[in-house]
Amino acid sequence: MSSQVIVPRNFVLLEELEKGEKGVGDGSVSYGLADGNDNTLTTWNGMIVGPHGSQLEGRILSLVITCGERYPDESPKVRFQSRVNLNFVDQHNGAVDSRSVSILSHWNRSCTMEKLLQELRREMCSSHNRRLPQPPDGAMF
Amino acid sequence: MAVSSRIQKETQRMLQKPDPGISATPHEDNLRYFNVIIAGPQDSAYDGGVYKLELFLPEEYPMTPPKVRFLTKIYHPNVDRLGRICLDILKDKWSPALQIRTVLISIQALMSAPNPDDPLNNEAAEHWKRNEKEALDMAKSWNRQYAMN
Repeated sequence: MSSQVIVPRNFVLLEELEKGEKGVGDGSVSYGLADGNDNTLTTWNGMIVGPHGSQLEGRILSLVITCGERYPDESPKVRFQSRVNLNFVDQHNGAVDSRSVSILSHWNRSCTMEKLLQELRREMCSSHNRRLPQPPDGAMF
Repeated sequence: MAVSSRIQKETQRMLQKPDPGISATPHEDNLRYFNVIIAGPQDSAYDGGVYKLELFLPEEYPMTPPKVRFLTKIYHPNVDRLGRICLDILKDKWSPALQIRTVLISIQALMSAPNPDDPLNNEAAEHWKRNEKEALDMAKSWNRQYAMN
């Protein structure tokens, strides 16, 4: 018999919100609710500062993260708003391909939006992505 | 999923002898997670409204307080736009001697006695201080719009 405590979706997200409001890590990624009145806690804005050593260095990249009813048992959906040329991003609409990003394809309850954004940032420096030519800074999908 | 006998006892008591205007029902698949309904107190701007809340008992409960928030929108100086509640016993004034039902009774009392001097919703709190009658009218209007269907 398992006595494991399962934190319900909304309380997981409220905890992530509080952490995000205080600011996470070194500020290279951040996130918050897209609409402060959205008490379903579904739609979030994410931000990544393009990492050193990539063609995106220093850019402020914005994303939309959608946490469905089954979050955090199921991974969120992620879409870049800022136009970026990366091997895991659909070049038509900015959607992140969940199969190409390890944290999304292996999502579990210990994953968070913060970890997700940090992994996407690391991926920008991978050998597949770091030298890819990028659209002008400020271009949007 | 097993929960402590304390949680079991509290749950049974609330199901068998509910406090007036308050119900708390655990989710079948998560006995630490409760659907809560609080009837708007008669002497308040929330009279006639039915307020849904959600309550979760963290792993450390009862050493740490329950987590609870309104799901029904409410215009109140101590409740923010996401339904989070500013109440001392949910924070530093928590004691393991308190229970789920005492928390819910305190929330019901907070609905009757808004405290604009310890606000979570600054806009509403300013409204209460500036013109209490108008703020209460707004609370009544939200009550009709969000809590009466």
